[in-house]
Amino acid sequence: MKLMDYIEAHALLEKYKIKSIESRYISNSGEAIKFSDGKPIVMKALSDKALHKTKSGLVALNINGENQIKKTFESLKEKAAKYKPYKMIIQKMIQHNSENKEIIVGGREDPQFGKLVLIGLGGIYVEAFKDFSLRVCPISKNDAEAMIGELKSKDIIAKTEEEKKMLEEILLKTSSMLVNNDIKELDLNPIILHDGTYHAVDIRILK
Amino acid sequence: MTSKYKSFEYMMHPKSVAIIGASNNPDKVGHIITQNYLDVGYSGKLYPVNINVEKGGKIIGIDAYKSILDIKEDIDLAVIAVPAKVVPKILEECGLAKVKTTIIVSGGFAEVGEINLQESLLKISNKHNFTILGPNCLGVMDPKSRVDTLFLPTFKIDRPRIGGVSFASQSGAVGSSVLDMIANEGFGLAKFISYGNAIDIDEVDILEYLEKDNDTKVIIFYIEGVKRGKEFMKAAKSTSIKKPIIVIKGGTTNAGAGAAHSHTASLAGSYEAYEAVFKQTGIIKADSLDDILDFAKIFETQPLLKGKRVAIITNGGGVGVLATDSIYNNGLIQPELADKSKKQLRESMPPIVNIKLPLDMAGDANDKRFNDALNIISNDPNVDAIMAVALFQTPGADSRVAASLIHFGTLMKKPMVVVSPGGNYTKAHKDMMESSGIPVYPSPERAARALAALLNYYEYKSKNEGKPARIKR
Repeated sequence: MKLMDYIEAHALLEKYKIKSIESRYISNSGEAIKFSDGKPIVMKALSDKALHKTKSGLVALNINGENQIKKTFESLKEKAAKYKPYKMIIQKMIQHNSENKEIIVGGREDPQFGKLVLIGLGGIYVEAFKDFSLRVCPISKNDAEAMIGELKSKDIIAKTEEEKKMLEEILLKTSSMLVNNDIKELDLNPIILHDGTYHAVDIRILK
Repeated sequence: MTSKYKSFEYMMHPKSVAIIGASNNPDKVGHIITQNYLDVGYSGKLYPVNINVEKGGKIIGIDAYKSILDIKEDIDLAVIAVPAKVVPKILEECGLAKVKTTIIVSGGFAEVGEINLQESLLKISNKHNFTILGPNCLGVMDPKSRVDTLFLPTFKIDRPRIGGVSFASQSGAVGSSVLDMIANEGFGLAKFISYGNAIDIDEVDILEYLEKDNDTKVIIFYIEGVKRGKEFMKAAKSTSIKKPIIVIKGGTTNAGAGAAHSHTASLAGSYEAYEAVFKQTGIIKADSLDDILDFAKIFETQPLLKGKRVAIITNGGGVGVLATDSIYNNGLIQPELADKSKKQLRESMPPIVNIKLPLDMAGDANDKRFNDALNIISNDPNVDAIMAVALFQTPGADSRVAASLIHFGTLMKKPMVVVSPGGNYTKAHKDMMESSGIPVYPSPERAARALAALLNYYEYKSKNEGKPARIKR
């Protein structure tokens, strides 16, 4: 299995109208300063060898100002050295808000039944709580609804009808992306639900 | 090519059967199979075949043949119980003898690494246009047409009576032990199919056959893995709308799975995929052998549960409390009785009985009290099902209480389950009730799980028939 290039993966999501946060590669801190334009950004080192970017210390959130950006760039470079080859990427930062929620949407190819799609409580809670539901693709609207209904965290991540509808749409779009592309494994983790909308802030597609 | 459906018809209703490997030696599998055909009263033609038989020789008193080619009559089914390495030669002869279908009981193929030998079988059957059930299986049983290819003597394993539950099992061991248990539960069998290594006939073919089989009302299935995933889903969807399919999946732990490359793959293993398939196709998931039997008997005997509201009546307070817990633990609820019912109950019950659910009729409750309670509550519009706790250890409970439960359980239009934990005296009454079609459980928890399965299936069915599921809350 091979990890799909991040920007290519971002474009694939865009094709299926799944929102993911604006991202670009950088080779020096100057590019990051320009991209930031005075607003906070996220900087990450991406490597095939590190599944847990946060645990490996390869993610820096909420960095702002020339000095901080420069310092972060250098320290990430140092930490990423043992995961070579790696690429540095920067993203717009979604403003922290206690109302924001993190979910995971994913998929994999099963040798017996084909593509599967998953939704669950996301971010750092994925493995601790293992609160997720799963279906075989393609899924119907009823399936998507039932998947959300099965989650223990449903009242946290989908409190209102609008939120439920939004999650259902993400699932239906993801199902159709999985079915129509050669994807062995997919992680959108986390997708941040914020300000009545959502953005995938990390994408992992294995072909 | 004989279609798979037609093959099953030949297996279940053969006009003639050749048993290859039949023997006078009681230690041989072929002996037991032949003896079983006689024991269960098979009425078609039986041809024992054994390479060592003398001309004019007999096996268990029946004219025997050296080769299937010596039988100059039509043969619907050949049951093959000879050593693995001889099976290809025997199959070739079956082809020349134009048998319609075969069951290969013999083991010693892919399960012990003999993959090439196993593959050679399919080439022969394809060439001669017949089908294979097995190898490495017990074959089939149909108590109605008196067919029984099991190599397990009738004195060792009880045979279930005729009924509406069909049972398919990949594993012969699970197959035989569950059959023995079914025989001692209160429900009967339509078809039993043990399909072993499934080189030809597999899960999909079995579902497609049982879907059409009129004797089959409920399907129970032990699977370890399915071979054709998408086709299996299609067959399961189409079948589960018509009749419930209860599945127990062997191999639920993902032991030995390699390191995952993504969170999704580490969460959603192979068993989780099966669980998703079950949800999407309306399959009722059983988590244990107890579940299999508990669910099968409620589905065979009771109407579907169309709401969550379960009324508990009991002749013992404590078990009534446990029963109430079990109802809520399984997503069901205890309703408030209608005013009319309360009034009628107040008039018929002695003053010590508190008129509310669970209705504790006290330890001296006799058949009259059970009769009144069942009569009133079965007509209550607030009640979707009754769980009757009948403790036969109490002074008031005897066979007349069982008769009362049978009477109302049989006549009422809503499901009823009985909970009767206990020993020999209780067992006698359980058998009475179960042979009259009332499911009896040894604990409230098991009864509540069965009721919940009944409701879940109803919800799936109504959603997928295009009619909205109206669940009363």
